[in-house]
Amino acid sequence: MADDKDVLRDVWFGRIPTCFTLNQDEVTEREAEPYYLLLPRVSYLTLVTDKVKKHFLKVMKAEDVEEMWFEYEGTPLKWHYPIGVLFDLHASNTVLPWSITVHFKNFPDRDLLHCPSNSVIEAHFMSSIKEADALKHKSQVVNDMQKKDHKQLWMGLQNDKFDQFWAMNRKLMEYPTEEGGFRYIPFRIYQAMSDRPFIQKLFRPISPEGNAHTLGNLLKEMYPTAIPNDGEPKRYQVVIHGIEPLLETPLQWLSEHLSHPDNFLHISSWITQETVGLNGGNSELTDSLMRGRSESCP
Amino acid sequence: MAAVTSRRITTDSAGGSDPRGPVLPPGGSGRSAETWKRHIVRQLKHRDLSQHAMFQDLIRFYTQLLEKTSLAKGILSCSLRRPSPDSSSSISALLHQNSQLKKTTGELAYQVVELQQQIKIKECVLEEQHARLAEEECRLAGAFDSHRELQERVERVQGKNGVLKTEYDALLERQRGAETRLREEKVRGGHLVEDMIHLKQQAAARMNSRNERRSRAREANLQKELQTAARSKVTIDSSSSAPTSRSTSPKNENQDQESTEQRHTRLFRSASATSPRILSSIRELFDRKRRGHSVCSLEEDLTCPVGICLSARVPARALHVLDAHEQGINAVRFSSSSDLLATGGTDRVIKLWEVRAGSLTHRATLDGSTEGITCIEFDPTGLRILAASYDKSALLWRLDDSVPKLTLTGHIRKVTAARFSSLPHQVVTGSADRTIRLWDLQRAACVQVVEVASYCSDLVCSENCIISGHFDSKIRVWDTRAVSCVQELPAQGKVTSLDLSADHRQLLSCCRDDCLQLVDLRRRSNDRMCFRAEGFKCGSDSTKAVISPDGCFLAAGSADGTVYVWNASTNNLETRLPDKHSSSISAVSWSLSGEYVVSVDKSRRAVLWSDI
Repeated sequence: MADDKDVLRDVWFGRIPTCFTLNQDEVTEREAEPYYLLLPRVSYLTLVTDKVKKHFLKVMKAEDVEEMWFEYEGTPLKWHYPIGVLFDLHASNTVLPWSITVHFKNFPDRDLLHCPSNSVIEAHFMSSIKEADALKHKSQVVNDMQKKDHKQLWMGLQNDKFDQFWAMNRKLMEYPTEEGGFRYIPFRIYQAMSDRPFIQKLFRPISPEGNAHTLGNLLKEMYPTAIPNDGEPKRYQVVIHGIEPLLETPLQWLSEHLSHPDNFLHISSWITQETVGLNGGNSELTDSLMRGRSESCP
Repeated sequence: MAAVTSRRITTDSAGGSDPRGPVLPPGGSGRSAETWKRHIVRQLKHRDLSQHAMFQDLIRFYTQLLEKTSLAKGILSCSLRRPSPDSSSSISALLHQNSQLKKTTGELAYQVVELQQQIKIKECVLEEQHARLAEEECRLAGAFDSHRELQERVERVQGKNGVLKTEYDALLERQRGAETRLREEKVRGGHLVEDMIHLKQQAAARMNSRNERRSRAREANLQKELQTAARSKVTIDSSSSAPTSRSTSPKNENQDQESTEQRHTRLFRSASATSPRILSSIRELFDRKRRGHSVCSLEEDLTCPVGICLSARVPARALHVLDAHEQGINAVRFSSSSDLLATGGTDRVIKLWEVRAGSLTHRATLDGSTEGITCIEFDPTGLRILAASYDKSALLWRLDDSVPKLTLTGHIRKVTAARFSSLPHQVVTGSADRTIRLWDLQRAACVQVVEVASYCSDLVCSENCIISGHFDSKIRVWDTRAVSCVQELPAQGKVTSLDLSADHRQLLSCCRDDCLQLVDLRRRSNDRMCFRAEGFKCGSDSTKAVISPDGCFLAAGSADGTVYVWNASTNNLETRLPDKHSSSISAVSWSLSGEYVVSVDKSRRAVLWSDI
């Protein structure tokens, strides 16, 4: 149980070192230094980047500033995805810090949603919670909550208050014991290099025979290509919160502990670079990079 | 840091970001549920370490630097931006502003100083008022204290008053109670006094009536006699009348007339015998009140017949046992003629008995002593009885008169012995007041007081000497005429009684330590014989032992009521006479004829013994 609490805390307090660099095309009065920031994995980009905006506004003229948007290596970053998901999906194998380019002009309307104020983010966040609870408890729990409880959830996320958030969120993580788990597991599988935004389907945590479904079962069901057949080397990486859980991890547990604050289990997967075909130095580079990541602890 | 510890695990384990991907379980069911959890925990820790921890400090410092530089830049830019438009006017404006500000500061400082002074003044006033308030409070406290003190005093005084009042009430109650009791007692006392007076009056009336009766009887008798005498013829008869036992020895014929005439009148006080004195004697017969005169005549008692016992007989059995008195009997004496016995005791009277036909017959009672009788003696003529009494006096009766003729007072304590001396008209008394007094009967006065060293318990008189026995175990012999101590004889113990033999040669002393001692007075060596017996105990301090009239036997009564008789010459116990007395025998007496022995005891009993 202590492990579970630690897991929750580690999940909540996960950070990604990011370097925000202003786009060169932006008109500035003088050169803007990059701005470094530790972004929380569980939060949303527009929620946590006020300082970035302030920093860059210092060097820009007011008339040149429109809505701020971010992109990474050409890909506009959708603010309504949790930051951790964005990182895992796009830049998990790259050298830290994560370099994000900040734009103030030419907002890509087709790719990104506008985010004029924090209430938009709140609305999106609450709708995610409600959707997740609809899957888990047929919306009973979230509807029993009062308005102030919803507000507490949002304020906990906004102000980075773990205890405040989880005081309410634990209600959403309860399930009747005779069920053995939630009704359906709220999850989204994100694939890099894919047209589909994500895979989301109904999936029960307990099999009709009473066995607990594992991550492997889910992937087999939803994304069978990710799981190699016996004997074949691993081809895909399945990452949640930047780590790769073992395939036999029970799904119910994953949903309770490794969900994001919006109660969804966001799973990112991509093809491992080796199997893409990079061989020779590149694979070694990536190998050494990955090894370096794991061994670079002083 | 938790990250540091978890690092160790991660470097050891095969987990972590394994490039080969998630490890497939080899057996599937062999792994525990905790493995995946541990894996996840490890992974999270590792991720945090690499992504978070490493960059945390760096980014912080970077941001700080950025802020500092931007601040500096801002200041620089601010300062740079200002001078470009109109600098001079702004400087003068600034200077002007500066001076104005200085003025205002000066004014304000002045105001501040003023206000401060006012504050100081106000503070002084406040302090003064505080001081006065404190003073007043002190005085008030003092007033309170004194008030409280006074209240306490008042309460104390009230308390004391209350206490005094209760005491007073209690005393008043007691006084009233005492008064009522006093009244009651007075009333009772009055009643008692009345009763006593009444009783005394009754006694006096009785006495008076008795005396009156007696005197009337005597008068009547006298009248009758006178009448008969006056009527009868007087025949002068010179021959002496036969001496009767009752009459005195025949003297000269002067006496005869009166003796024959007055033979029956011997109960009266004797008148002198000589005829010229008839009238005076007749007159004196009516003078009853006068005592001391004509107690005895010169002619009387000069010579009297002395009986001689030829042989005493040892008593063997009791002839007569009777309760002779009302209370215990202390003394018993046979008179010089065998027939009369006198007993006296605690009941204050002397009873005279006649021994007739083996029994004691009561003849007369002599009273007049106010307390018990200790010792009785008949005078040699047998007409008078001398008794010593507890009432510190010795009394003399004539046998025919129950009222004592003489009372010899003068001793300070009880008289233990009274004896007729060898000198005529002399009586010797010994007393517990350690004196021996000699009395003259004609004058009825004490002629000499002899101080002795000790309580005199008994006396005997012989021709020349008086012998007294004392509690200090000594027998003292006094010369009669010089009345000085001639000799001191030691006794065995406290002397309780003395007895002289008929020939005045042997002295018997009875001692408290149960021993009888017989001393020969005429022998120079004064050897003694001691008589003891088993079971003989001297019962009191005044037990009397006697020598038999012939001097052969000694008799004494013991504390257990047995009469012991010793043989004087053989020193042996002759006989014991038990069982007749139930208490301690106080005295025995042997009759002159030697026939009878009478013993008396403390329980009123008298026993007549004889050998028949």
